[in-house]
Amino acid sequence: MSLIIDLKSVSKSYTIGKTTLQVLQQVDFSVAKGDLVSIVGSSGSGKSTLMNIIGLLDRHNSGEYYLNGTAVDQYDEAQLATLRNQTMGFVFQQFFLLPRLTAINNVALPLLYRGIRGKQANKMCEAILERVGMKDYLNHKPSELSGGQQQRVAIARALVGNPSVVLADEPTGALDSKIGQEVMDLFVQLNRDEAATIVIITHDQHIAKQCNRTVRIKDGLINKYDYGNIN
Amino acid sequence: MNWWLQIQEAYANIISSKLRSFLAVLGILVGTGSVVAMVSGGQLATAHALKQFSELGTDLLAVSVMSNSSDSTPELSTQDVMALQKKIPAIVNEAPYSTVYTDVSYQGEKIQANIIGSVPELQEVVQITLSMGRFISRYDNYEPYCVIGKEIAESLRKQGIKNPLNKQLRVGSRYYTIIGVANDWKENAFFNNDINKSLIIPINTAKFISAHASISNIVMKLVEYANIDLVQQQIEKEFQRISSDKQLFFRSAKQLIDSMTSQRNTLTLLLALIGSIALIVGGIGVMNIMLVSVVERRREIGIRKAVGASSKDIRELFLVEAIALSVLGGLLGVLVGLFTSYIIATFAGWQFEIFLLPPMVGFFVSVAVGIFFGFYPAYKASLLDPIQTLRAD
Repeated sequence: MSLIIDLKSVSKSYTIGKTTLQVLQQVDFSVAKGDLVSIVGSSGSGKSTLMNIIGLLDRHNSGEYYLNGTAVDQYDEAQLATLRNQTMGFVFQQFFLLPRLTAINNVALPLLYRGIRGKQANKMCEAILERVGMKDYLNHKPSELSGGQQQRVAIARALVGNPSVVLADEPTGALDSKIGQEVMDLFVQLNRDEAATIVIITHDQHIAKQCNRTVRIKDGLINKYDYGNIN
Repeated sequence: MNWWLQIQEAYANIISSKLRSFLAVLGILVGTGSVVAMVSGGQLATAHALKQFSELGTDLLAVSVMSNSSDSTPELSTQDVMALQKKIPAIVNEAPYSTVYTDVSYQGEKIQANIIGSVPELQEVVQITLSMGRFISRYDNYEPYCVIGKEIAESLRKQGIKNPLNKQLRVGSRYYTIIGVANDWKENAFFNNDINKSLIIPINTAKFISAHASISNIVMKLVEYANIDLVQQQIEKEFQRISSDKQLFFRSAKQLIDSMTSQRNTLTLLLALIGSIALIVGGIGVMNIMLVSVVERRREIGIRKAVGASSKDIRELFLVEAIALSVLGGLLGVLVGLFTSYIIATFAGWQFEIFLLPPMVGFFVSVAVGIFFGFYPAYKASLLDPIQTLRAD
C-alpha cells in the first residue's frame, strides 16, 4: 500500500520569549491509502500541532514530510496553499462553515480555489451532499441547520475535492453522543465504501476504537497502538 | 481565483453588511462628489467667462501708442499705420483712431459725446452696423461729416429730431453734418470708447478740433489663430522704423484669456485640493471599515486558507472588496457631484455642460483611494495565521 503521508523524525518547537517549548520530538508517522486512523492524546500533547503539520497549515522545524511520495519541506506559502486545496480535506470541531453562504456554496468553496465553478461545481456539490445525507438542505444557511447537519455539510466540503486525506479535528466534540456517533458512522462508511483516507484527532476512546488504527501521542512523542480492523 | 469571482464575493460581502458598507460608500461618495462638483463648477465658471470673451472676438488686438518725448519726433501718420497691414500678413484689417475732447451741442443744447477720429475700416473691425445713412468713407477725407452712436441719436430725438441725417452738430468751433446713425453697439474690451456715446469723424478732421490730436490707438483684426506674440514682435519692429520713440502696449484676447485661465486653473486646483481632503477622509473610512471587517472575519480567512486559499487570494478578496466600495462610492459621487454642479450653474446663471475630465478624475481617484486604503487591511488579512484563527474557542 502506498503511503499518502509519511513523516520522518519531525520535530516542532515554539519559542515564546526566552523559553522554547518542544511540542513534537522526532515523530515518525505515516498514513497509507485507505487508512482510518485516530490520533489520541490529552490536550497539550501536541496532537493539534501534528495535525496542522500534516494539513500543511504549519511547518515543522526539522525532519522530513513526504506527501504522496513528494518532499514538501521546501514548498513556499503559495505552493502549500495549492497542495492543501488539492490533497487535504479539513473537518473541525466547530464545523467552521461560512455563515453567509448556503450549504452548497460552503461545499463549493474548495472548488472555487481550484477554478471549478458554475454547473460543474454545483453537480459535484450536490452529489457529495447527497452522499452525506444532506440532499434536502442544499440552500440552507448554517444557522438553519442543526449541529449534526452542519458537520455533515463540513464533511461534504472536506470530501468534494476528492482529497488524498481527510483530517478531522475532534469532529464529534461539539455534538451530543448520539449525533456524534452518526457522524462517526459516516466516516466509517466513507472509509469502507469509498476507501477514503481519514485521520481523526480525538480524546474520546470510544471514537478511537472505531478506527482501524490508533496512534497515541503524549508529550510530543508517539506510541502506536493497533486496534486492528474492527470490520 | 479569477477577478470576476472576487467581484461576486465582494458584492455578496458588501450586501451582507449593508449599514457598514453604506457608511464606507458614503465617505467616498462625499469625497468624490465634492471633487467633481468643485472642479466642474470651476470649469463651468471658466467656460462662462471665456464664452463672454470669445463673443468679443478672440482675433482682435489693441495697440496703444505712447510718445516718450513730445514735439521732437514726427507724428505717426495714418498712411504709416495703414501700411502695417501690407507688411504683416497676419493683420487682416486695422483701424487707427484718436480721441479728442471738446463740447458738442445741437442748436445750443449740449450733448455728452466722445469724439473719435478714425478711418472707414473701423466699421468692420469693431463691428458697427448702421440704422440710417452711411459710415465715413475714405473720400470724406477732410469733410466735416460724422456718424453718431445710438444714445446720441436718442438725445437728439428728445429734442424732436426724428431723422438726424443731414442735421448739423456743433463740435468745438466747427459744424459737422450727420451722415449716419449706428445701431446699438456691444462693448468691446479692445476698443476704448463706447460707440453708443460717440461721434465718429474722419481722422484727418480731428486736427481741426484739437491741434494735439494724434493717433493714440490702433485696433487690429488678425487672421484666426494668429501667433499673437509673433505679430506683436513684427509690429514693434515696424514701429522702430516709422518712429522709434513710440512705446507700444498690446492688449489681446489671448492675453486676457491666458491670464484668466491661469487664475481659474489655480482656483480649480485649490477646489480640487479641498475636495481631495474629503476624499482622503472617505478613504480612511474605507480603511477603518475594512480593518473591522478583517477582525470580524478572522475565522472566515482561516477557513478559506484551510480549503486552499493562498495569502494572495485573501489579499485580493479584501482588496477587491475595498475597491468595490470605492467604485460604488465613486460612481454615486460622480452623479452627485455633477448634479451639484448643475445646481450651482443654474443658480449662477451659467450654461451647464458636462466636462469629461472632472468625473473621470473623480472616479479614478476614488478607485486609487480604494486601492491605497484597502491595501493595508488586505495585507493584514493575508498575514493571518490559519492555525490561530481556527482554534476552537
